[in-house]
Amino acid sequence: MILHTLNASPGSTAFRDCLATAGAADTILLLGDGVYAALPGSEAEQALLACPARLRVLEIDARAAGLLQRLADSILIDMDGFVALSETHPRQLAWY
Amino acid sequence: MIYTLLVLSGPAGGHGARTAAGFASAALARGHQVNRVFFLDEGTTCGNASAVFPQDETDPLETWAKLAEEHGVELVLCISSALKRGVLDETEANRYEKGPATVHPTFVVSGLGQLIDATASADRLVTFGG
Amino acid sequence: MQNPKRRQLVILRRSPYGSSLARAAVDLSLAMGAFEQDCDLLFLGDGVLQLLDGQSAEAIGSKNLGKMLASLPLYDIESVLVDAAALRSFGLTTADLVLQARLVEPAAMNTLLAGYDHLFSC
Repeated sequence: MILHTLNASPGSTAFRDCLATAGAADTILLLGDGVYAALPGSEAEQALLACPARLRVLEIDARAAGLLQRLADSILIDMDGFVALSETHPRQLAWY
Repeated sequence: MIYTLLVLSGPAGGHGARTAAGFASAALARGHQVNRVFFLDEGTTCGNASAVFPQDETDPLETWAKLAEEHGVELVLCISSALKRGVLDETEANRYEKGPATVHPTFVVSGLGQLIDATASADRLVTFGG
Repeated sequence: MQNPKRRQLVILRRSPYGSSLARAAVDLSLAMGAFEQDCDLLFLGDGVLQLLDGQSAEAIGSKNLGKMLASLPLYDIESVLVDAAALRSFGLTTADLVLQARLVEPAAMNTLLAGYDHLFSC
């Protein structure tokens, strides 16, 4: 069970390698430049939907990027939620 | 739980350093212990006291200083990364004859052993880059 | 209560001279060895290029990362792992590397990573 924090744009090798590595027991948390991957209808979103890991997006970064009204509330988490994810996932892997 | 944080990016660009500070505050608020924040590579610029940020932007140094002063969080800069970036404490500034110290007083400059020592007793390592 | 020893993995993901992160990751790996930690190394993506033999970084005034890695005081040779897919994508084989390494196929990557307590990603 791995918490993948993905702070890299959808065109990066970090994005590609993260999706190739994440498994069904894992969670991918998009933050920083990673939040754009959640844009509905984007190629990156399609790739994320095909990945077995659970998806979450850091609200503060989605808000800064102008994505808040474009994303489903159910996938957004705040910093407290980020810490909570780190409690339930014994290890974190930073992709950037 | 006991957390060690590893910060690999600086305050002048990217999201890593800002996210790390926010995470540290949130972890403390949830009752966790942050036994050390270790700054490596570009992350060491977080401790540069000479950096000046525009008045209408958040001063990242204040955020870290508050964590150190109010919660006793240890902030440690990797010495070899810091030296390359001109972030020097008094000892190093004197040793290399580089003028006054440039490290903020709430940060300590030390070696990678400080990271290894912290993670050895930590339940979680959380890394922030980019 | 004594903490059980943490299993740690340093993941090296950058090309050797394109950023200072590669050197930082190598320094961290060497320090792990010096402090006798239970630590493995995984070269992932562009990171496999750090292991390429024949580097002459002296030409650009840098320390030779290939040489530093070759001199890793490795007692357990199995602890150096390489991303097999990345190696193939560069047209390389283990014969091109400065030290002996174990290949990790993409299908085995997730299980491998989940076996460690701490993942240092540089």
